[in-house]
Amino acid sequence: MIKNRVLVGMILFVASESIFFLMLVLAYVHFHNVTGATAAAQLDPIKTGLFSIALFSSSFTMWLAEIARKKENAALVRLWLFTTIALGVTFLTGQGIEYARLLMNNITISRDLFGSTFFTLTGFHGFHVLIGLLLLLLMFGLAVAGRKDEPTHVGMQSVAIYWHFVDAVWLVVFSVVYLWRYV
Amino acid sequence: MDLNNAQTSSIFHFATEQARSIVDLQIINLVICLGLFFTVAGLITAAAIKFRQRPGDGEPDQSEGHLKLEITWTVIPFLIFCFLGVMTGIVMYKVNPPVGKRQPDVIVNAHQFWWEYRYPKSGVVTANELYLPEGEDLLLEIRAADVIHSFWVPDFGQKMDAVPGHPNNLFLKPTRPGLFIGQCSEYCGAQHSLMRIMANVVSPQEFETWTQSQLKVPAAPIDQTAKHGEELFMSKTCVQCHSIAGTPAKAQVAPDLTHICDRKTIGDGVLANNSDNLTHWIMNAQKFKPGCFMPNMRLNESDAHDIAVYLENLK
Amino acid sequence: MTEASGTHRPINWLAEIPEYQGLWSWVTSIDHKQLGIMYITSALFFFLIGLVLALMMRIQLMVPMNHFVSQDSYNQIFTMHGTTMIFLMGMPLLFGFSVYLVPLMIGARDMAFPRLNSMGFWVYIFGALMLYFSFMGGGAPAAGWFSYAPLTEKGFLSNPGVDYWALSLLVIGIGSVATGINLIATILTLRAPGMTLQRVPLFVWMMLTTSFLVVLSFPALNAAIIMILFDRLLNTHFFSPAHGGSPLLWQNYFWFFGHPEVYILILPGFGVVTEVIPVFSRKTIYGAGFLAASTVAIGFLSFGVWMHHMFATGLGFSVLYVFALSSLFIAVPTGIKVWTWIATMWGGSIRFSTAMLFATAFIIQFTIGGLSGVTFAVIPLDWQLTDSYFVVAHIHYVLLGGMMFAMISGIYYWFPKVTGRMLSEKLGKWHFWLMVLGFNGTFLGMHILGVFGMPRRVWTYPYGLPVVSALNLFSSLSAFVLAGSIVLFFWNMAHSFVKGKIAGDNPWEAWTLEWATTSPPAPENFDRLPPVYSRRPLWDLTHAAQEPKPAAQESTHTEPDSGSEPGEQP
Repeated sequence: MIKNRVLVGMILFVASESIFFLMLVLAYVHFHNVTGATAAAQLDPIKTGLFSIALFSSSFTMWLAEIARKKENAALVRLWLFTTIALGVTFLTGQGIEYARLLMNNITISRDLFGSTFFTLTGFHGFHVLIGLLLLLLMFGLAVAGRKDEPTHVGMQSVAIYWHFVDAVWLVVFSVVYLWRYV
Repeated sequence: MDLNNAQTSSIFHFATEQARSIVDLQIINLVICLGLFFTVAGLITAAAIKFRQRPGDGEPDQSEGHLKLEITWTVIPFLIFCFLGVMTGIVMYKVNPPVGKRQPDVIVNAHQFWWEYRYPKSGVVTANELYLPEGEDLLLEIRAADVIHSFWVPDFGQKMDAVPGHPNNLFLKPTRPGLFIGQCSEYCGAQHSLMRIMANVVSPQEFETWTQSQLKVPAAPIDQTAKHGEELFMSKTCVQCHSIAGTPAKAQVAPDLTHICDRKTIGDGVLANNSDNLTHWIMNAQKFKPGCFMPNMRLNESDAHDIAVYLENLK
Repeated sequence: MTEASGTHRPINWLAEIPEYQGLWSWVTSIDHKQLGIMYITSALFFFLIGLVLALMMRIQLMVPMNHFVSQDSYNQIFTMHGTTMIFLMGMPLLFGFSVYLVPLMIGARDMAFPRLNSMGFWVYIFGALMLYFSFMGGGAPAAGWFSYAPLTEKGFLSNPGVDYWALSLLVIGIGSVATGINLIATILTLRAPGMTLQRVPLFVWMMLTTSFLVVLSFPALNAAIIMILFDRLLNTHFFSPAHGGSPLLWQNYFWFFGHPEVYILILPGFGVVTEVIPVFSRKTIYGAGFLAASTVAIGFLSFGVWMHHMFATGLGFSVLYVFALSSLFIAVPTGIKVWTWIATMWGGSIRFSTAMLFATAFIIQFTIGGLSGVTFAVIPLDWQLTDSYFVVAHIHYVLLGGMMFAMISGIYYWFPKVTGRMLSEKLGKWHFWLMVLGFNGTFLGMHILGVFGMPRRVWTYPYGLPVVSALNLFSSLSAFVLAGSIVLFFWNMAHSFVKGKIAGDNPWEAWTLEWATTSPPAPENFDRLPPVYSRRPLWDLTHAAQEPKPAAQESTHTEPDSGSEPGEQP
């Protein structure tokens, strides 16, 4: 991996973004003594948990897409990329539903520190998922209409690294935000 | 005394026990730093002279290093810094011991751009000019009402930031009387430069006298001008910000004016406290301290003068 | 001198290279050399602007109770001075040096991601323009270059200055991270055959470390900026105490970025000086192993000292003490470098070219700055001196007397390579001595101003303080000498670009790969690369007959002449 500049670049980018998310998570944690009660009262870990499973599964399907690409099985590449995208969209839809419910209960970003920290943290995560979906769509577009060797193996690998990163961040965010009440 | 006539303060003019400890450490540090500096500068100067290229010079010996030397010049500085580290811990603890349950003697509340001083044990509330008894072990609690400020009188020793929502503690044991000048030391906005600290250290007896005089509730004005001034003060927006003991004016947004006649300056060091200056300040404080929160009151000179007379007669 | 390059191009002046003719070739360029030149030129432009802002401050502070500018203007001026010098001058200058030099030094054709390189540059220009637009857009930011909360909240600073500050830094920060990633990928994947990481020029090694710091520290700044923008624009409450927010959170995040940032600013300067001193002492760098290791140590430690910017905020004994110790100990690896440079000079045969003069002054001035830094690590002293002019003295000794002197040394050293012409040594010496006088005159006395209680970021000071008045006056007058020396420097560059002596491939008889090609390099950089057996390929070539190959025992079985090309772009 250290020989391929695209992978080196993507790994470094992911490292940088990890620090960014670390800071947002720390802010959430710092204010938790004030916001924890609201989190426990307003958030639905079960529903969000289901949508989270969709996201985590999408990492698995992305891995399958990578293997298919290595084996040069174009049809499977298209299938698993499509599934990954669909699962990612499912997750974002779930986030949207969660946001809508909170907003209807008057929990906005400016209402209090819970709103501030929750929406900032999950919002940036969702934004990163969106970017990931765009990258996946790019891969998928190349798989459908591109040349014979597109998407390249390195391309798939680097998008996969990004996508797994997005999932790993959600693992942390979900645990800290939704599961803290059970600790 | 006003801005035109401040006194020199310096971290070496220690006026508290804490400042003295810090000065001692400062001297040790200075000796070490000068030693290291002259070593470096000396070696470079020597190298520059001794090894300057001369005609006929061949290629010098391409020495790549010498492990023992390199270890030495790593370990010796490390030991020097260990020593400084130990001294740091000792003086830190001496100057800033744990507060425990002790109650503060003065609560310093920093505002944009003035200092509020409260003495919880006696109940005195004043602004901008701080009085402290000599020889006593004092604890100041440092707070902020709006943005971050910092309380620093160099002669007293350390500075302590005033962080809103995060009260801090400062220990002082003044060792000699006098007037000591400091300044806000964390950029706090437009008038950060004109937020002076004027700390008077007096004997315990004088301090008691001062406390008593501060606690006295002034009598209502008798003189016509002063009475008119009082009417204006109470009817205009002055009461939205200022308080005067014994009157309906109780707002705490701006300096308490009960004993303003005792203060040496107006506007926390901007103008000398005399009748003329006070009148003009009241008319339009923005002219002298633009960006402070006392608006242009748009009073005519006669009204402002009457208010000034009222304030000066509060005893 | 030229036998290694084997090039036949007759072009020996930057202005004559056909591929670089015309504005369009520059604006659309993805060539690392053009981008490097543009970075450096822009940085020098903003250096002039920052200098003008500084002169305005010094005029205002020349005499007590001066009214040259209003308080409000002064607060914007010092904020813009700091922000400009650090983000619009310092960072682009070091990026300019590195994107120009790193590919050449490792024998590559270009950076790993040339288009990303261009994006990093243009995003910096956009951010810079946006920052300066604030003067017309409602007022420049006026909360200082580190913009402490809650002063930056909308309730205290309602004009959009802080928003411009935040947005432009966010934008510039994205470019910086991109360039950092680009540099690491370049250094890791595009080295010439035979050039292991132990054999890269130490400038490259320093840039590798610096780039890791960039990639890992800027996100903290971005997070903090997002939070203050959200507080101001979306009414969140991260930093407003009235709603439970924490001003100290801003400081923690900012300095988690801010401390590595100052090492980001100085490490490239260390790298420059580490290249210059051996060449002009005619000796290899002493103790390269310790030097490289100390660089990595600084990289790691720099993430563990940030709270030393917050010693007076009331954090509690244990926390404070840990950071005091880490701040003291980070001086050890830095000190190692100083001893190494001195030991390199010692026993050498020193030519005091202008580049060497600046590098030598750098060591002395940086040591002063470093020692005032150590003073701050001793917490009780910090409690007295933080936020006073002692800090202003410290930062300018490390950033101006340190970083800038090093980078100027680099400009005198590499100007011939970049342009094909030599800078005037005569003007250079005048520049040097005036700058040493002007710089030290301006800033040395500030140590004493701090001792005498003058806080920083003040618009004026009272009458009746003779020491304070005298020192301020002297400092202001010296600032004009400093400014004059800079004018001389710019004149030297402009004049020498057109009229300077033609340089040739290797005017300094240096040893690293950038000197193994023409001055200026052709767009493709190298026709042919010399074999790489050590950190000094050209020295090895001229000593091949007399000496056994250095450290050839670690045989890498490379055959550089068997047709393998310098770092190829697929």
